[in-house]
Amino acid sequence: MDSENGTVSDAVKVLLHDIPRERGQLLPALWRVVEQYREITPELIGAVSESLNIPYAEVYGVASFYSLFDNPGGKMPVYVCTDVMCMLQGSENLKHAAESAAENGPVTIRESACLGQCDYAPAAWSGARVLRRATPEEIVSVVKEAGQ
Amino acid sequence: MNQVRRLLPDFGTTSSPTSVERLKERGFAEALRKVFAMSGEDIISQITESGIKGRGGAAFPTGLKWSSVYKAPGETKYVVMNADESELGTFKDRVLLEEDPLGALVGVLIAAHAVGAKKAFCYIRGEYRDVENRMAEALDTLRSQGWVGPDRVDVQIRRGAGAYIAGEETALFNSIEGKRPEPRVKPPFPTIKGLWASPTLIQNVETLANVAVLFAHDTEWFKQYGTKETIGTKLVAISGHVKQPGVYEVPFGMSLTDILNAPDLGGGIAGSGRLGAMLLGGAAGTFLTPEEIAKSSLDYASLGAVGANIGSGAVMVFDDTVDLVGVTTRLARFFAEESCGQCVPCRVGTQRVVELIENDGIQSRPQDLRELGLAMRDASICGLGQTAPLALLSLLDRPELRQHA
Ligand SMILES: Cc1cc2nc3c(=O)[nH]c(=O)nc-3n(C[C@H](O)[C@H](O)[C@H](O)COP(=O)(O)O)c2cc1C
Ligand code: SF4
Repeated sequence: MDSENGTVSDAVKVLLHDIPRERGQLLPALWRVVEQYREITPELIGAVSESLNIPYAEVYGVASFYSLFDNPGGKMPVYVCTDVMCMLQGSENLKHAAESAAENGPVTIRESACLGQCDYAPAAWSGARVLRRATPEEIVSVVKEAGQ
Repeated sequence: MNQVRRLLPDFGTTSSPTSVERLKERGFAEALRKVFAMSGEDIISQITESGIKGRGGAAFPTGLKWSSVYKAPGETKYVVMNADESELGTFKDRVLLEEDPLGALVGVLIAAHAVGAKKAFCYIRGEYRDVENRMAEALDTLRSQGWVGPDRVDVQIRRGAGAYIAGEETALFNSIEGKRPEPRVKPPFPTIKGLWASPTLIQNVETLANVAVLFAHDTEWFKQYGTKETIGTKLVAISGHVKQPGVYEVPFGMSLTDILNAPDLGGGIAGSGRLGAMLLGGAAGTFLTPEEIAKSSLDYASLGAVGANIGSGAVMVFDDTVDLVGVTTRLARFFAEESCGQCVPCRVGTQRVVELIENDGIQSRPQDLRELGLAMRDASICGLGQTAPLALLSLLDRPELRQHA
């Protein structure tokens, strides 16, 4: 366990090496960690805390506030907007299609509040790519792609 | 033509949105040269004269805010662009930044020069990754032209991470400072104590784009559009049951009917083809009936008469088959989810509203819901709790909108 912790904390130090050790850099640092690990585990919180010299509880308090950091299990998240405007345009179907395609795979489907794409409802977002006027077929192929 | 193209570039514009050529074509290069030769006082008096008001929702007079930051004592001052845009049905800042990212950034530079700030932040929601990339490219262009950098204005982009409350100005400061994005108690106001307790000017993307086009032209030009009370143009984000959802720039004072139906705007009602209701201003907005829509225009006084507000410019359109109680339930869950939990009226109130609505409370306990809503409106610390009950209250006031329940 010790050596494992050592590895993670070393890896995070390397990952954050060019980020100044300032409180104001905590959010960018957390983003970098999430982009690498897809989730923020207690171990990673410890590593960030050490790296930036910010108390563990503070890092935890900040990291746990944001929904895009909340991805327990670290699967690849695909977000389906289920807010009002997308709901009117069939986001329920989209979500079901995505969920069946993702079953038992490396991708997880998350519901999202308004993604700000209401002119192209229903919308989904895979972290990198926004799907506009998404069809069930399209989201299935994104789920499969993301899982590769 | 009902729509205007000022904040949004002309349809004929061919230069790439982040190029030096665009900077020139839009008059922004000239505006920067002009402004950087002016004193802060002169810049601010032009802003005041133009009548620009905040476009992020609260419509606070922009000149007044700049003047307050300018006069505030303090060596270090900051400018912040608020591109968090997480309000339901609101996507105008996204489109503005996609189509003309240099405009709002030029606004940031003008603001920094006017109030004496050396450092600026652009805070953008984490889901707008493509837009963030484009913004970074536009910043590079400004850097290459010598407008951005440590000896002028240092501009940094900050990416949010999925928290609606982080768009509230003081919560946003906490987010940038690496703290939990919980709102602070006001006063002190940001103009006196904002980022790291220094005087801070925070403006919405669209407000800053207005500043850029104002200085690319002049006050006379700027005043060509709008009403006596409200000068200029507004971006409206139309969504839902219209034939042409999208972001459109219109003069203040345009009738809501035209916004919905004009061939170069909403294009008419889609879905069943019959207008049922409009939710104006986002999750914290107001439901309007077809009769109210027919007599209202996009101006604060006209909308005030029916108890509504332009807010961020979200125009959500529902045909007559939509179950608005269902919509209100979704809104209530959103607020319960997004409340930061810091103060009781909002933390407990948003949960209670969900429980009541889910148990048919709109039908069976409207008076309890109304009292709860009013208590939240009056006793919450920040805008989230204060405005969370507004859509619900507006539905309670308009029984004719609940016939599908
Ligand atoms: C819960 C909440 C969320 C907000 N979100 C945003 C936002 O995403 N973008 C924005 O410009 N203003 C938002 N505001 C308003 C800001 O607090 C602030 O008034 C605004 O950025 C000031 O800019 P303006 O005067 O140019 O409108 C929000 C307010 C509240 C209460
Ligand atoms: S009103 Fe709600 S969101 Fe605002 S500070 Fe209170 S609990 Fe937090």
